[in-house]
Amino acid sequence: MPAEPHDATPRIERALVAPGHDGSAELLLRIRYGDGSSDSVTLDAAAAERLLDQCGATALEQLVGQPWRRLLNVLEQSGD
Amino acid sequence: MDLIIRNGRIVDGTGLPAYQGDIGIRDGRIVSVGGRIPGTATEEIDAAGRVVAPGFIDPHTHFDVQLLWDGQARPALEHGITTVVPGNCSLSLAPLKVEHRPRLVGMFQQIEEMPDAAFDGAFEWTWESFADYLTALRSKLAVNVAPLAGHSVIRLWVMGDAANERAANADEIAGMQELLRQCLEAGAVGLSTSFVDVDERLQPVPSRYAHAEEIDALAAVLGEYGRMLQVVPEFYATDITLARVDQLAELSLKHQIPTTFSPLFDSAANPDNISRVMARVEEQMARGARVWPQVQTRPIDISFTFEVASLLFAGTPGWYRTMRLPRDEKIAALRDPERLARLLEEAEPGGNTDRFRKMRVRAVARREDDGLVGRSLGDIAAERDSTPARVMVDIALANDLDASFVATDLGHNDPARVGALLAHPMVHIGASDGGAHIQSFATYGDTGYLFSRFVRERHDLTLEAAVKKITADTARIWGIAGRGLLQPGFAADITVFDPDVIDRGDEVVAHDMPEAGMRYVRGSRGIYTVVVNGAVAWSAAAGGYTEARQGQVVTR
Ligand SMILES: [Zn+2]
Repeated sequence: MPAEPHDATPRIERALVAPGHDGSAELLLRIRYGDGSSDSVTLDAAAAERLLDQCGATALEQLVGQPWRRLLNVLEQSGD
Repeated sequence: MDLIIRNGRIVDGTGLPAYQGDIGIRDGRIVSVGGRIPGTATEEIDAAGRVVAPGFIDPHTHFDVQLLWDGQARPALEHGITTVVPGNCSLSLAPLKVEHRPRLVGMFQQIEEMPDAAFDGAFEWTWESFADYLTALRSKLAVNVAPLAGHSVIRLWVMGDAANERAANADEIAGMQELLRQCLEAGAVGLSTSFVDVDERLQPVPSRYAHAEEIDALAAVLGEYGRMLQVVPEFYATDITLARVDQLAELSLKHQIPTTFSPLFDSAANPDNISRVMARVEEQMARGARVWPQVQTRPIDISFTFEVASLLFAGTPGWYRTMRLPRDEKIAALRDPERLARLLEEAEPGGNTDRFRKMRVRAVARREDDGLVGRSLGDIAAERDSTPARVMVDIALANDLDASFVATDLGHNDPARVGALLAHPMVHIGASDGGAHIQSFATYGDTGYLFSRFVRERHDLTLEAAVKKITADTARIWGIAGRGLLQPGFAADITVFDPDVIDRGDEVVAHDMPEAGMRYVRGSRGIYTVVVNGAVAWSAAAGGYTEARQGQVVTR
């Protein structure tokens, strides 16, 4: 049986709006890694907008499946 | 006797069933509990039909600054809170060198949203050391204060600018240990640290640059005094929170200290969070570690304005796109009848107004709209023969977008799940954040809400269990000696309330910060008398706050 091609790129698996503890809405992303493990990241409104732009997305569902490299770009920008 | 509270239903903080009796007080302490006390006292209170309980203790506040001009910690005191713990989340006002004051003000403004005026004219900076900060507080206090020392400011003192840049070296760690020791000697009840907070430039606060060895070294000093370590974990990520629970457990066992983390909250976005974290807490507590998750009683409210694109609109792409437009284009889009009609259809598909009906107006720029503040969009829509979403747009436009709205109950709002969590014996009720986020929402009245929602309405906890959770449990968890119980020899911190009425009031705008700065507050309902160290500090019968200033810095 041929092996399935293995996709090792970490990807956004889920994108949800969640309450932050300071009374604003935040974007909660679940990242799935190639080895099967996962992690969560939250973005504030401004960072979330940049991520949507990076991905050319207009709705949250369109973030699902995007490679996390896009997310890294956004996080690097917010460090300025 | 100085004060006798007669005929009350005594809920003494132990969790045992309530009983009828009198309470006698002399020299700030309880001298007699239960039974009929003969004779008379200088002051007597008839508590027939009311509950007499230990004063409530709020373990997670940011009243550090406010206490300098308001020793009553308004409105916490009128909710029956007699002891507050400031200095949470790695930030305290001491120890702090003169040259670091602007840095700390920036960090406090980020988390507390306090106007400059709160720091400029409202008090005098007279201290650098923790001991001198406590001296500056002492004479003003109407509530008791059990202060934490903040890891970020300790780091700033020892490392200067490098506190925000790198890990500490061995000498710097030793310096922080010595400084923490001085704070604990002066009366600090522990150390707070944070793994998530950011400063006013949205950079990590200093405590986040610490390596594990630094935290271990500071925990070792806490161990010399058996004092608390409070942390803010990466609460949005369950896996990381679990790792923090394990880290705290190791520190607790190694140094024999209590630890607590906050917040832990329920969210539909992360439904397994609570069960996974609590399972790990149970596992670590069974090993003898002390790792107390703090859970708040109130649901989480999310506020938004039309000035920025809130993620609340991310689920409605048309709205989200409109909200992201430049200001002028946004206003033009909302004024265009055709485009507005499309937005309204997206917001209220087929006339279903569920999404916006319960949202409330939080603040408006125009004086003539003041009467709308606090009202639901559904309510206003009914009055105007309109729809909630249309009303929201109308109000935003009328105020040139300078209006804000609040979506209530967006997280931590499943009453059955939250009720079960609050009743869990290993859950520490707290995380109110009193005194913080003052321009976003009111952080007061969580204790009233505990009784109205989870005792009276839902029966998740008995009255006695709820009182114990916010009095004796808190005192025991934090090592606050001689408080939290109605027992001879204990400090006379007492709250008298009506169990059928006690509640938090509505959220309202107040302009009671220095120079009439605004904040959101909630008054209390069903509280009759609040006694702090034997003195009546708040009394419904006497019209509210009194002149009493018997609050103490709580020491062992
Ligand atoms: Zn806090």
